[in-house]
Amino acid sequence: MSQSGKAVPFDPPATAAEASIRQLIANGKYKTALDQAKDNHKKQSTAASEALLLDAYAARIQSLLAQNLLREAQALMDLVCERFPAGRGRLESIGASVAARTNTLDDLLRPLNDPQLSPEHREAIEQAVRKEIFDLSALAACPVLPPEHPLRQAASSLDRAFRMVTTDAVEEEATRLPEVSRRSPLAPWKLLVRAIAAYYRGDLEACREQLDAIPADSAPARLVPAMRAMLGAQSSSPLSPAAKALVQQSGGDPAALRRALEALDRAWTGDSPRTVLSAARTAVQACRETAPGLLDRLKQHISVRCAVAGFDRGPVVQALGGATRHDAHFQRLLARAYEETGDLEDIPGACSAWEEFRQAAIKEGWFPPDGTEVATLYLHMASLACKIPPHLRDVLSGGMVPKKGSREAVYFLWPEALYQRACALDPHTEAFSEWLDRAREDSGQAPAERVAEQWHAACPTDLEPVLFLMEGAAARKAFPTALKYLAQAEQIDGVHPQVRRARLRLMAGGILRHIQQKKPHLAIAKLDALAALPEAHQGDRPAFLAALRFLIHVLRADMQEMDAAQAETERLLAGRVPAKLLIFGLAMAAKQLSPVVLDSPGMLTPPQRAAIPAALARVVALAKDMNSASIKIPQSYIDSAAQQLAGNSASLDTAQIQVLAEAGVNADHCNLAYTASAAGLQRGGASEARFLLLRARGLPERQFRRRALCAAAVVQIARQNRDTELLEKAANLLRGPLRSAELELTPAQAAEVLRKEKAEPEFLARSGEGPDYRDILKEKLCNCPECRRARGEAPDSFAGEVEDEFEDEPDLDKLFAGMPLPPDMPKDVAAMILEETRQAVERGESLESLMSRLFGPGASRRSEKKGRRR
Amino acid sequence: MDALEILGLSDGAGEEEIRAAYLRKVKEHPPERSPEEFEKIRDAYETLRDPRRRMRALLLAGDPTVPLVSLLDGLPPLRRFVGPGPWLEVLKGK
Repeated sequence: MSQSGKAVPFDPPATAAEASIRQLIANGKYKTALDQAKDNHKKQSTAASEALLLDAYAARIQSLLAQNLLREAQALMDLVCERFPAGRGRLESIGASVAARTNTLDDLLRPLNDPQLSPEHREAIEQAVRKEIFDLSALAACPVLPPEHPLRQAASSLDRAFRMVTTDAVEEEATRLPEVSRRSPLAPWKLLVRAIAAYYRGDLEACREQLDAIPADSAPARLVPAMRAMLGAQSSSPLSPAAKALVQQSGGDPAALRRALEALDRAWTGDSPRTVLSAARTAVQACRETAPGLLDRLKQHISVRCAVAGFDRGPVVQALGGATRHDAHFQRLLARAYEETGDLEDIPGACSAWEEFRQAAIKEGWFPPDGTEVATLYLHMASLACKIPPHLRDVLSGGMVPKKGSREAVYFLWPEALYQRACALDPHTEAFSEWLDRAREDSGQAPAERVAEQWHAACPTDLEPVLFLMEGAAARKAFPTALKYLAQAEQIDGVHPQVRRARLRLMAGGILRHIQQKKPHLAIAKLDALAALPEAHQGDRPAFLAALRFLIHVLRADMQEMDAAQAETERLLAGRVPAKLLIFGLAMAAKQLSPVVLDSPGMLTPPQRAAIPAALARVVALAKDMNSASIKIPQSYIDSAAQQLAGNSASLDTAQIQVLAEAGVNADHCNLAYTASAAGLQRGGASEARFLLLRARGLPERQFRRRALCAAAVVQIARQNRDTELLEKAANLLRGPLRSAELELTPAQAAEVLRKEKAEPEFLARSGEGPDYRDILKEKLCNCPECRRARGEAPDSFAGEVEDEFEDEPDLDKLFAGMPLPPDMPKDVAAMILEETRQAVERGESLESLMSRLFGPGASRRSEKKGRRR
Repeated sequence: MDALEILGLSDGAGEEEIRAAYLRKVKEHPPERSPEEFEKIRDAYETLRDPRRRMRALLLAGDPTVPLVSLLDGLPPLRRFVGPGPWLEVLKGK
């Protein structure tokens, strides 16, 4: 309010107006700032208001330049210079920028020729050059400066270097550019040239260093975002169209490809084919732009995954922008992918893909058609083909073979055909050994011997096939043939422990045969020769020799020598029970009547009965050592051993318990096998996995699921313990008799099986099915009719659920056709006895016990009196 | 991970190269400090030393389950010389 009381428009004080205008400039509101500065200068008309107006003009011109409105900037500049000639000095720097950007390079640089040029003006021109000049060739040729002017010289060198590094690879030396000083307004160009050269050289670290050093307000800094994108960095702001074009043309944006591949990897973890194909489309496009050399490989990986995941081919081909190249690399990837699924039904696909790989690789010149590479491939295919369930192989071969009955077209499904080819191309020990193992497990003795013969012919210095053939001949009692192979083995390696033991075993077998043939003179000669071998005096072997001597003297009816030999056997085995068991067993093996009377375990004293498990273990171990595993142990002693072991196993060591468990398994005596495995499992420690395997082997067949689980647990534990021998045994059991190769347990599940089995020490013969494994076993076993039948299950998965009353009555006439029955025994009674006997055999019940149960006490003794053999 | 990958070697690595890579890796993972890693390195070395095992490892190489992004590992990036034109276009601020 004025003194007169008349209201006048309020004018802010000059300082407040200036502050407001400068704030507007700082905030980028240049046009408003300029308008207010004009008003302010009209009112104030002071030097300060003029200076403020000129600053507002400068800011406005600068903003026009930033928007590339060069003509408008130049017009405004000219206007200001005309109206405020005194303020030219204040606008020098912005004037230089305008001159540089509007191609009036001559106008910008001309003042540099003036010797009176003020340092401020020179500085302004140089700043403008640094910030605005991008046409180096124009600068190098600028006529207003003399040719030797440092700016022209530097521009000329930089222009040459810039063209060079963007056109071809150059050495680092060529980018030193000593003629461009660090103080030169063109120094940032030197950094840019070096950065480009380093990028094309592949020295990305050096490239980044140079880019980091380029001042952000210099002209070359405009290339920095594009170059960072080329290096794979993610840009915070979008690139200009020109920058995008440069990135794409010069090498693409690796970060974009990486992001696309990461997105595709993430899409695979979901279960939407649509998402996968969409991500695949993006990744393939990015790859095509950035790394075309990788495109085929990427498409192959995606195609293989889609094939294994069961995607329809059409949409996949569409997403990938065309079909994938089916070369050797693709086939190998496909084969590996089928292997990795862990599904047995994919194994034939893997074998087929490996065959395709073989053909493609030969065609592409990876390796010759008959070289060791192909042999190696056949071996790998054979190891895969072994896993194919037989029923699946039959189904596939039926469908795949063009001409029924010909296996040749799908030979890759048969392990023996693959091993045959592998060993023919590259006959070596490991290949034959693998083949022999497989033949022994899957095909039986005769085919295995044929493999061993081929092995022996191909590698005559290998011991294993000779020993295998020798043992086969010995098992057939073809001792001359066995001795022929032994001689060959001794020629190969006479001091090999297996060969030395083989001689011992063969000679012992020969003596038993002479005893069987009642030729004591030959037997005693051979026994003397055997006794002369140093290895015949190791461990319990002298007792074995003494027992043989006893049997020879029985043939000679030399009572005195018999007594002496028996006494010697008893002395060596430290007891009458083991000595009599050994003599009895050997007599049975030689098909002689037992020359010793074996007391029934019930008639022994309690200490003698308690010692039966130890005696049995010792005799069985000795027989195994001498390869007379066929010696017979009376059932009553096996029963008694099982009973005694259940009550007291503490006196036996782990090895003895293991022998007993194996004896139980070999004698199909489930009770002994189970009791011994329980005693072994209770011991814990490193051997418990072995006892778990013995449990798997010794359980009745009807408990196939429990057996399979135990074997699978052993596979896992052996794998953890790196016990390859045990692993192989368990895997063979799982793959072979149990037909459950696909069953795999986690370490935690294996530990759970072990824990549950340890918690079941008693053999429940009649109804016990063992621990509850429903939580672990979630129908992991193959459910096809063949595998179910092989495991002893009903072939039809629903058959087991049919109630008994709906089952058909068995055809008794058919059942007993060709089987002699007592004349007055009705067939339904015979059927009941047959069923009862089958169940007794399954649970390991002794014949003595079964007969007592069926026919009353004493029935078994009556049968013994009649001389019936058990 | 196959033997070559474990030792950080390419397909054509020679015997000396394999041994050098093995020694380098063992230095990085000595048995007393990282026994599991050492065992892998040792297995890989044994595989590559045995001609048959090595051939097998090479023949059966290639893991179809690797993350696809790993295909970029070791891949030399594509760098094309495009001349000064496109670079100058960026400088002009287009």
